[in-house]
Amino acid sequence: MTIKAGFDLGSTAIKVVLADGEKILWSGKTPTAPGQLTLAQELLGKGLAELGLTADSVSQVAATGYGKRLCGLAEAQIDEIRANSLGLFRLSEGRARHIVNIGGQDIKLIRLDDRGLVSDFKMNDKCAAGTGRFFELVARLLDTPITEFSRLSQESTENITLNSTCVVFAESEMVSLMAKGVGNSDIIKALHAAVARRVAAMMGRSDLGEGVWLDGGPAMNRALVEAMEDELMTDVFVLEKPQYTVAYGAVLSLGL
Amino acid sequence: MTDRQVNDVSQFAVKSHDATKDVQKTVTPRTSSPGDRRARLLAKTQERIASEEKIVLDWLRNQPDYRPSLAYFLELLSDRRIAAIESRCQRKAIRLLCNQIPLELILAAGFQPFKVVSGSSAEASYSAHNWPALMCPLIKGILTALELDPDLAQGAWVAPTSCDWVVKFWEARQRVMAGTGQIQWLELPHLKNRPESQKRWLEEVRAFHRYLEKLKGGKIARQALIQSIEAINRAWTAIISLKKARRDGRLSLGWFLAIMGAFFLDRLERWTSQVESLVLELEREPTGGEVFGARVFLAGSPIFFPNFKAPILLETAGLKVVADDLCSSERIFPGGQVFEDVSEYGLLASLAGRYHQGCLCPTFGDNERRVNNILSQRRESSFQGVVFVVLKGCHPYDLESTTIEETLKNYGLRFLRLETDYAPEDRQNLLTRLEAFGHSLSGVR
Repeated sequence: MTIKAGFDLGSTAIKVVLADGEKILWSGKTPTAPGQLTLAQELLGKGLAELGLTADSVSQVAATGYGKRLCGLAEAQIDEIRANSLGLFRLSEGRARHIVNIGGQDIKLIRLDDRGLVSDFKMNDKCAAGTGRFFELVARLLDTPITEFSRLSQESTENITLNSTCVVFAESEMVSLMAKGVGNSDIIKALHAAVARRVAAMMGRSDLGEGVWLDGGPAMNRALVEAMEDELMTDVFVLEKPQYTVAYGAVLSLGL
Repeated sequence: MTDRQVNDVSQFAVKSHDATKDVQKTVTPRTSSPGDRRARLLAKTQERIASEEKIVLDWLRNQPDYRPSLAYFLELLSDRRIAAIESRCQRKAIRLLCNQIPLELILAAGFQPFKVVSGSSAEASYSAHNWPALMCPLIKGILTALELDPDLAQGAWVAPTSCDWVVKFWEARQRVMAGTGQIQWLELPHLKNRPESQKRWLEEVRAFHRYLEKLKGGKIARQALIQSIEAINRAWTAIISLKKARRDGRLSLGWFLAIMGAFFLDRLERWTSQVESLVLELEREPTGGEVFGARVFLAGSPIFFPNFKAPILLETAGLKVVADDLCSSERIFPGGQVFEDVSEYGLLASLAGRYHQGCLCPTFGDNERRVNNILSQRRESSFQGVVFVVLKGCHPYDLESTTIEETLKNYGLRFLRLETDYAPEDRQNLLTRLEAFGHSLSGVR
């Protein structure tokens, strides 16, 4: 059996998808740290071991993400926007037209045509506002794991507003709210709304009739998805494993 | 306990110790005065600039299209100090801000036109704390350049009232180098199509002519003016051939920008001769055939050496820039001059018209020609998309990008707007966008 591997070497996590044709056999991730090649090799080794395969079974490897050039394993490289569009278009069975990807250090908005080709895209400038890094900062500040954000947000009883998604300004705003005795759940709900507002501002006046597909790690946060639905006023679809769509797109770029 | 014992115990009592002295101990500082600190900061900035320049010069030298005849331009870019330029050209330089100043008049008066620019991240950073955050990095960099090279601050300066940053430059520089240099303004009317504006601009050009005569200490001969117009026309013809070489894939974007960046660094005739020789060399060689990669047009804020972030990333992403409308490149002066009336007034009127009507700077209120120029270049160079680079703080280009984007999209052109500055930190982010843009142009899935 020969399989293909797609790596997404992001700023926060390295993700890999092992696939036989279009079929995903295994997916896994590990936090990004120095020595990305070793980390990627270990992750691949883990996947192969779980599938009962050896390195010889991997016929082709593609890489995407900020670390794609650091990954000596890959013979093909693809930019994240194209990988994202390929992966999500296929996984959504050709339904996705608008993608919002929230990554570790950027937000990407991608518009697809009915063939799945990128017709337009936007990315935030060098600013971590509203990205995965922003969520990490808030988690540290509130001493609360990100995995708890969704549940806590739903427990919120008071509507408050965070005026900024700028990491620096939001931090001081949150410290001030905490000093006033505002609870973590209310702050987290406000955080989701602020990120959703930022995405909506980036979206501009786009017609979102077909809904929006959200992917990247933060898409697993149900409360964020609801906040985005409220702000964008459209359906927000999320796949079961939204953090692997880009790595899957890298596999697809190798051809079937 | 006996008295004796008490006395013995007292020997072990903690001696009174004044800790204040310990706290007050200081390490000898490396800086002893604000003046010293400034000197050290400037020296550090100079080191950083040298390092930025070396990276770009090495990159240019290692480009596949590098050839020995390009060494001349590398040499010019390696020493852009005003003293070096004056010595190279054997004449006094007139420092220019912006492109609307008729170069022909300066040349005819026997001076070297020198456009003062800065593309250095280190130069812009040095001044950053003194000025607004969203300020044009070019102006910030120039303000540092004045401190680094006091000779630059001296002498004659000419500025048209083009964008707000240029208009406020002289006021800003008084904070840095008060009492140095003299400024000659040209009040640029921001409407090109109104007869009153055209008349007003002609008066400004005539006043500039008189100013140059005063500076020269004698009349500018009409024949000298005709000769300088012809010299500029010859340079323009060479630039057209150079543009063609880039369009045909014989010359890279990086080298095109480097050659244009060296335009003010030597005598015009020498620069033109070098370009002509290069063009002949390039034309003798077979083309690389079809230009591979997506063909794009480059627009937006100017790109000055050593800020080659955008060209390096464009080439890394495999995008082929086949034409541009940068005021640091193809629009370095507004084309060749045709004149019928050879009287002094006729020549000045002709120059004034071209530098006003032919300028596509976004500071003009009636600037439809900007979009029309891109569309007509599309017919000539058949590009599929436009990459529009906006420098943070460059407000006229920033504003104009939105209207240009809308118009060009209506004509079926793809458009990518990149907002950036001189700092290198956003390279990866920009590269991702450029790669995706390239793929979207070539319809690759």
